[in-house]
This record gives sequence, C-alpha cells and structure tokens, in this order.
Amino acid sequence: MVVAKISDVEFGVDLPTFEPDTSLATAGKFATLVGWGGARFTDHEAARKEGLPGAMVPGILSQGYLVAMIHNWAPDAEVRSIDTVFRAPVIADEKHSISGVVTDIDEDERRVEIDLTVSNEKGETRVFGTAVIELPA
Amino acid sequence: MDQDIEETREKFLNRDFDEKTFDIPAEVTIEYARLCGETASRFLDPADPDFQAPPTYIASLSGGRALPEDFPRFGIGMDAGKGVECFRPVRPGTTITGRTHLHDIYSKTGRSGRMVFAVSRIEFYDEEGNHLANSDSRMVMREKG
Repeated sequence: MVVAKISDVEFGVDLPTFEPDTSLATAGKFATLVGWGGARFTDHEAARKEGLPGAMVPGILSQGYLVAMIHNWAPDAEVRSIDTVFRAPVIADEKHSISGVVTDIDEDERRVEIDLTVSNEKGETRVFGTAVIELPA
Repeated sequence: MDQDIEETREKFLNRDFDEKTFDIPAEVTIEYARLCGETASRFLDPADPDFQAPPTYIASLSGGRALPEDFPRFGIGMDAGKGVECFRPVRPGTTITGRTHLHDIYSKTGRSGRMVFAVSRIEFYDEEGNHLANSDSRMVMREKG
C-alpha cells in the first residue's frame, strides 16, 4: 500500500521490504561520484588485501537506500531527520534487504518515526537507523 | 562524566572551527538520487517545480577538517554513524555554505576499555542565510589499554 497522508499510517505497520542495488558497479559509481575513489569500494580483491571481506558499499549510500525505501512507501514524505549507525560493512554484490517499522505517530505534527534495518542474506544487521518523516494531512 | 571529557566539552563544544562553500551540481544530485534508488521526479527531473537534492546528499559533503586542530587524540578515529536533519530543500544549481562545530562529546566504557565519541556537525546555509540542514558525523575513538 502506498501511503499518501498521515491518516494512512498505522502504528506498528511494517514497510514493504526494499531490496537495494548493492552491486559492485553501483557502489563504485557512487564512491567515485562523491569523491571517495578507493579500491575498497570498487575491487573485491583489493578490499580483501585491506583486510575486508570484500568491497564495501559506502555508508552514506546505505543511508540513501533507507530514504529511497521510505519514498517507495510514501512518495510525498518529507524526511525531517535520519540517524544511521554503521554496525558492520555492507559487502557489494551480496544481496541485502531493508526492513522498516512505524514506531511512533504524531498526528498533530503529521510526523511518523520509522526504525530501519539493512540486513544481509544471513539475517545479520549491517546498518540500522531511525527516520522522522512528515506527511500531508 | 569523566573529568577529561568534561574539560574537553567545555573547551570545544559549539565553537565553529571550519567554514566551506559547496556548489550543488544538478547532474551530481540526480545521479546520487538514482544510485540510491529514488524514483520521484523531484529528485530526478530538473523540470520538476520542486526539484531538489535527495535529503541525505549533504552527508556526502565534507568540511575542511573533521575535528578542531588542537583536539586531543584519544585514539584512532572510526566512522560510527551519520545523521541528517532537514529544514529546507537543498536546491541544485545553488551554492551553500557549511559551518562545522562539535555538537557532542561523550564516552562509554566497556570490557575493552573506554571509547570516546565526538559528533561533528556541519550546519548548511543558503546564500540568503537560511538554515537548510545539519549533517552529523559520529566518530568513535578507542583508547589504548
């Protein structure tokens, strides 16, 4: 269900699961775009030589996935804040999914709080965060 | 709170230590949005009347330095997280100014010793002086045992 206004939101509801593009190509393009040109984002072998399990998705790209997921659910949502904790690397070319749940609703301020989690296929949390969005009346 | 953390807070909190201007190129914000998976035209189409950078775009903008020049070295710093607060949209094609200060300093002690956290905040303003957004970088420094 696409959410258009604050009255569409129910406390405790799960957002539709979002599968971000965590391919090495996307991670590398993003890292280059923001000036983080480093082999750890573009080359699995080079990343392993740095002691990582593989090339990583930049943390701020994971943050961007979380917001894209919110807009996928509520296209007109205005993100007022998002706080993100990078618990462990998101490894490029591994499948990840993002889950979200509504944890608070303030109908007067038209604001909704959402807890968000990026997990890998083993179900391990890699990134988690909390967003506050504003929706139309 | 530990005495040295209190003293560090007293000396460094809420004092600007960096200022930098940033051009906001539309082609960059569009690609940023596309790679994140955004599909809304307000992030992708310059002809959209509400065309804007995606909310987390400012997290990619770094100041001239992450910590004040004389900030104590508690240990090697690692990225512990990012936060963004949005007050007004950041419009592609404009120039914005970022001013950086330390927003918070605190410590946590666990079995492996003490970790010191510093939250560096960049406040972004448009050319008219409107406060657009804040970008927080949380750095953790693990002390050697």
